[in-house]
Amino acid sequence: MADNSPGRLWTMRALYPGIALLVIFVHLLPMQITPSRLAGPDLLTALTFAWCLRRPAYVPALAIAGVMLLADLLFQRPPALWALLVLLASEFLKRRGRHVRENTFVAEWLTFAATLLTITLLYQALLALLIISPGMVSLTVMQYGMTVMVYPIIAALSYLALGLRRATPGEYDHQGRTL
Amino acid sequence: MASDRSNTEDFATPLKRLLVVILCLVLLAIFLIWRIDSPRVERFRSQVIDSVVPNMDWAMAPVTGTIKLVRDLQSYQRLSEQNEELRRELRRMTAWKEAALQLEQENAKLRDLNNVRLDPRLTYITAVVLADSGSPFRQSILINVGSRDGIVDGWATMDGIGVVGRVSGVGRNTARVILLTDATSRIPAVIQPSGQRALIVGDNTSAPPIDFLEDPGLVRPGDRIVTTGDGEVFPPGLLIGQVAEDPGGRLRVRLAADYERLEFLRVLRDHGARRVSNPAGLILPEALPDAGEPPVAEAEGGDG
Repeated sequence: MADNSPGRLWTMRALYPGIALLVIFVHLLPMQITPSRLAGPDLLTALTFAWCLRRPAYVPALAIAGVMLLADLLFQRPPALWALLVLLASEFLKRRGRHVRENTFVAEWLTFAATLLTITLLYQALLALLIISPGMVSLTVMQYGMTVMVYPIIAALSYLALGLRRATPGEYDHQGRTL
Repeated sequence: MASDRSNTEDFATPLKRLLVVILCLVLLAIFLIWRIDSPRVERFRSQVIDSVVPNMDWAMAPVTGTIKLVRDLQSYQRLSEQNEELRRELRRMTAWKEAALQLEQENAKLRDLNNVRLDPRLTYITAVVLADSGSPFRQSILINVGSRDGIVDGWATMDGIGVVGRVSGVGRNTARVILLTDATSRIPAVIQPSGQRALIVGDNTSAPPIDFLEDPGLVRPGDRIVTTGDGEVFPPGLLIGQVAEDPGGRLRVRLAADYERLEFLRVLRDHGARRVSNPAGLILPEALPDAGEPPVAEAEGGDG
């Protein structure tokens, strides 16, 4: 499996923060300053979870924590809360991915949607509990829906552009461990 | 093979788990510290933004410019599609009319700029918009001046015509402006002919509602809304916008500032502004209310 060489592993590990920075950059472009009624998908979270489900080795916990914390700081969210939830969820998904991988894509998608729903609800509950203005509920619901809808696209793009496919059972990495 | 694998995993997994636990604890600690001592962490946030975003600027300017150019091209394309149906003379006429209208608009804007009467104490620094908040939940922008240029938290910002927002969060090279449309923005205002005082309460829509109005019967759509000096939040007399009524009968502000194309901002130097140095500085009165100072809102309305 030349695909699983250490070179590729580290390339993909470096690629994750790179793509994340690109997404943040696009979000920050001052294109629309008037408030919009639409909330776009949370691409960073979808990307992180997709990679966690498909290739846990490409997204180390440190990278996830760093990227999400930076996003929290730059996007004016309460710092570190969303990052914490995403980190916990991603560890869950990494463990879960091994079971999901043997199933269909729909199972993977459902796992993603359920996990995202859990952490979104937790996030809103914590914000309400600590009396932080959570923003508009309609926007949160819309963002959740959009993120779930965009997941297949992100998975497909990761596969087509980066060759990031689900590890088949019995595939080994360069050290001989199963993926 | 199987034993080999379990050996290596046994060796690596606890370490990984430990790392995850440590990361979680660090993140939790950051969040709790932010909740307890928000100003300090917000200062850290503006430092991070200050070091990250200006680095992106070299790429941001061309990308933003290109997107705007494409948008402009698209609009020109639509214009030409419409014009193709017209005769050649008529088309030429339309082009001339367009040019004339643009000049007229520009003229009107410049005239309006000249008529803005600012307090002579107020001078301003012009800033360029670097980035927006990047999230649909927050309405703020980042500008390219900061503490290096003497910007202080709480100063008002305007475009040429109306108030845009309030500086909140100053880094060395950048500062963040919370827009009037943000859900956390509260600006004291006075509605011009009637002298009614109110709060302009941002709610994440493009027309913020007018709240805490004493007598809505005295206010009509079209009335001018300007800032008051109440609470030393803003210098008095800056134009915010006009009163408008939404279909639900609620009074809202049609903002005078052109939020559609904010490229340059004026940050008004306001040395009378109250500095927020301690956490409850803006909320609690400096002297306790036992001193018995009577409310003088009516009297101030006369000269405001």
